[in-house]
Amino acid sequence: MTALVLRVGAAFLALAEVVGGLAIFGLAVLKACLHPRLDAFETWRNFYRVGVKSLPIVATTAAFAGATAVIQTGHNVVKFRAYEVVGWAFGYSVFREIGPLLIGLMFSGRVGANNTAELGTMKVTEQVDALRTLAIDPIDYLVMPRILAMVVMMTLLNVIGDVFAVAAGIATSKFMLGVDPYVFWNSFVEYVTLTDFFNGVAKAAGFGVAIGLVSCHFGLNVKGGAIGVGRAVNASVVASAVGIFVIDYFITYLLK
Amino acid sequence: MIEFIEITKAFGGNRVLDGVSVSVQKGQILFIIGKSGAGKSVLVKHLVGLLRQDSGQILFEGTDISNYREKDFYEMRKRCAMVFQHSTLFDSMTLAENVALPIRKHRGVSRTEALTLAMDKLRLVHMDHMADRVPGEIGDGLRKRVAIARALTLDPAYVIFDEPTTGLDPVSAIRVDRLIREMSDRTGVTSIVVSHDLRSIFGIADRIVMLYQGKVLLDGPPADFRGSQDPVVRQFVNGLAEGPMEL
Repeated sequence: MTALVLRVGAAFLALAEVVGGLAIFGLAVLKACLHPRLDAFETWRNFYRVGVKSLPIVATTAAFAGATAVIQTGHNVVKFRAYEVVGWAFGYSVFREIGPLLIGLMFSGRVGANNTAELGTMKVTEQVDALRTLAIDPIDYLVMPRILAMVVMMTLLNVIGDVFAVAAGIATSKFMLGVDPYVFWNSFVEYVTLTDFFNGVAKAAGFGVAIGLVSCHFGLNVKGGAIGVGRAVNASVVASAVGIFVIDYFITYLLK
Repeated sequence: MIEFIEITKAFGGNRVLDGVSVSVQKGQILFIIGKSGAGKSVLVKHLVGLLRQDSGQILFEGTDISNYREKDFYEMRKRCAMVFQHSTLFDSMTLAENVALPIRKHRGVSRTEALTLAMDKLRLVHMDHMADRVPGEIGDGLRKRVAIARALTLDPAYVIFDEPTTGLDPVSAIRVDRLIREMSDRTGVTSIVVSHDLRSIFGIADRIVMLYQGKVLLDGPPADFRGSQDPVVRQFVNGLAEGPMEL
């Protein structure tokens, strides 16, 4: 019984440490936002690394998400011959939900994990301490450019992903359901509103904040060498995914 | 002048520093020596705020920095640089970019200008011909020289060297020692060197402080160490496996 209580207590403390640590880290970032001292070179490097290099995987994910959404609705579309709603069903689900969610999870796995590993390695090899001894604030120099790049690029990639999803949706509905692209497009532009689009954009920006904060926090708090880096990457991906789903819920609720 | 006054520091139940008092005179090359785990690196990391003492006081040029917050240390760190044991160059940058970084951040110059100034610093340590390499492409000894160049970029009055010759081949070690001596003689910079490399200690030290069991065992010029009759000092100086020194 005592062992169980101890185990529950330890788990609670560990959770409190993560949540508390993230909150303190978030406040430090917020404070840094008030007097931003972004390093232009480091910011540009992160924009390229986070955005340009993620483009192929995001485009692929979005295209398959779009195609899958069409196939999922295809059965009923064909059954009820409701071809005029295929664009709407596709756009509503992909723009609002599937697109940002899948891109967010993919982004977290590629960019967030990479970021935690890089910062974690810098931490265990004392590069972060070296930065501090050079009188350079790691929040300003390492964290701010990364979070900014993740928010901006996650949002942009989501928009680009929408384009790829639409293209894949049109192609799939044409070749698998026999729906004329003109019919698909008409249904899409008639029923899918800008609100649907911006709903997805808001989610993408929120996911970018979550992935940025979580991946930087876990990276800069690595303890215990290479094993610690591995653990931090694992924890970062899990926490980012949880963050993505929580933010998804709240934005969906608020913008319903 | 720097003064550590009655510094204590424990990690868990392990008291690493137990009332250590050391003063560092301007222009000196002071060696802090002792066996591995004696608290040498722990002591110097307090000076730049990488660790905080449990009790005691640190005076930096007469100013009490014991209760400085992280932000307060930034100005002071520009005057007191540190070269880490493992060089800690930034992997993602070339050697020139590594050295240029503090110039770019603190001198308010363009990236191109900072790189030009960085080349001057790299020339001081005879590494200018490798400026475009990245740290992963060069050996430990060369990395250490670049780390020294980076530490010198802001023309600090004090430089802390954490085991600068550990893990280096004898030739590279002598070159690093010579660099520290030259730097001290040429610019008058005060050097605090953490080491257990006897050749370095007796080669370039002006003064030596030996830590043992969390306390200062001996503090004096190299001649005092050579002539010491203390059995622990004798064992360390002669590099003997057998003796009173605790493992």
